[in-house]
Amino acid sequence: MLKEKEVIIIGGGAAGLAAAVACQEKGIEDILIIERNAYLGGILNQCIHDGFGLEKFNSSLSGPEYAQKYIDQVKEKKIPFLLDSMVIDLSTQKEVTVINRQGLQHYRAKVIILAMGCRERTRGAIGIPGARPSGIYTAGVAQELINLKNYMVGKKIVILGSGDIGLIMARRLTLEGAEVITVAEKLPYSSGLPRNINQCLYDFDIPLLLNHTVIDIEGNGRLSSVTIAQLGKRGGIIPGSQRKIACDTLLLSVGLIPENELSREAGIVLDNITGGPQVDERGQTNVPGIFACGNVLQVHDIVDNVSLEAEYITEGILDYLQGRISESQEIKMTLGAGLRYVVPQKIFTIKDTIFSFRVNQPGKKKTLVFEEDQKLIKKKYFPRVNPAEMLRVKLSSSELKDINKLKVKLV
Amino acid sequence: MERKFVCIICPSSCQIKVEYENKTIKKIIGAQCPKGEAFVKNEIANPLRVFVGSVKVTNGNFKLVSVKTPIPIPKKYLKHIGKLTHSLEVEAPVAIGQTIALNLLNEKIDLVATRKVNKIIN
Repeated sequence: MLKEKEVIIIGGGAAGLAAAVACQEKGIEDILIIERNAYLGGILNQCIHDGFGLEKFNSSLSGPEYAQKYIDQVKEKKIPFLLDSMVIDLSTQKEVTVINRQGLQHYRAKVIILAMGCRERTRGAIGIPGARPSGIYTAGVAQELINLKNYMVGKKIVILGSGDIGLIMARRLTLEGAEVITVAEKLPYSSGLPRNINQCLYDFDIPLLLNHTVIDIEGNGRLSSVTIAQLGKRGGIIPGSQRKIACDTLLLSVGLIPENELSREAGIVLDNITGGPQVDERGQTNVPGIFACGNVLQVHDIVDNVSLEAEYITEGILDYLQGRISESQEIKMTLGAGLRYVVPQKIFTIKDTIFSFRVNQPGKKKTLVFEEDQKLIKKKYFPRVNPAEMLRVKLSSSELKDINKLKVKLV
Repeated sequence: MERKFVCIICPSSCQIKVEYENKTIKKIIGAQCPKGEAFVKNEIANPLRVFVGSVKVTNGNFKLVSVKTPIPIPKKYLKHIGKLTHSLEVEAPVAIGQTIALNLLNEKIDLVATRKVNKIIN
């Protein structure tokens, strides 16, 4: 039997919960959140460190506290949700197949919100050669084991990659009594937030080795050592820089991939750089009625931005449900120097629009410039830019009026 | 003396330069807000951090409850408190904000729960 819903939200993490609450507040009644885990809140549940919600709640919350704020609202507003339920198929016609203990269930919705989040890149994805012993974890899996499952992952630890989860885990493991020997980062700069390098590494005298990577893994049964080496300007190993480090555990914090298998099945066009769907100014994908927000759209560094993005797309969802979306004109977006990507990738209707960016490399005294041909539309100055920090800039409908193409660059 | 700090209070991660002599601050440059100034004053006098960790729960829908110190504590105690959390145990249900430990190390360091844990009825 096909059950009809107004809005189905795939994923009950930060993005899905915020989207559900915002939809309900806009008067949308018939909502269903589908979550594959046994609890709502997603990755926030294992992020027990503080620092969440500074913008939205003006206090420094832990991940579980942040999630609970939204879970409480979902329950208060009686928004239905399914737990332990996995969406195994999504069609272009917005039909959703769910599997759980009750068996297979089929739904069809007027609007689908993709809020599936992201997953971690693994050893296989970066191709570290060597033996295949136990003791090699992605940082997020180690975080789940330590913070939710009460399972300590090791005693002498090397971390490869300086993403925020890796940095947070360096501190967490230290406070749990492990020795974190070093964090090696392939790039000449860290991919984590500067505050995390400070409070997670420098506070505990953990060295951050930039331009370093793991080139070999040894161990029979359990990991016994990794070999790290320094990389030259072109990325090759500097001869003689190899160093073997005895350790029992290697954590990988080497990037996140938006989880878009379902999106692909539904015929959604993805962006090669973000790994998320290409969306318009409303967060709508190329399939009408399917919207995306949170880490499935673009990997975020701050959960408040996920919540804001989720709230933002519900404006367009309401317009869609009330038949107010008319694709009058298309503004062609092009990406200029200094930027890795921009979201949204397309603009069809003129409304106040929030653009998100990531820069290519760290820099100081930079200006983000929006222009049509040579004509300046808007600019915004940043004292510092960092690939670890997403930039967000709002353009008003009056600034976007009468524009045919929009180029963004960093100068 | 001159020292550079990265403020850890918010994701802006302000780079703050401080000129000082014998813990008396003469000049603070680079803080975008008053919280940054307060942060570097503490960094020079007595660095403070919020401790976060976890404590074992019995009969709960989670095996652990995450905890934090309600206020920042001297940085030098972080590892001690981490060790102490291993010997603590609490019975479900646990509410957010519930006190889990009081006056640890006789330094008025408290721990409060930051996760809701429901009781499992067997």
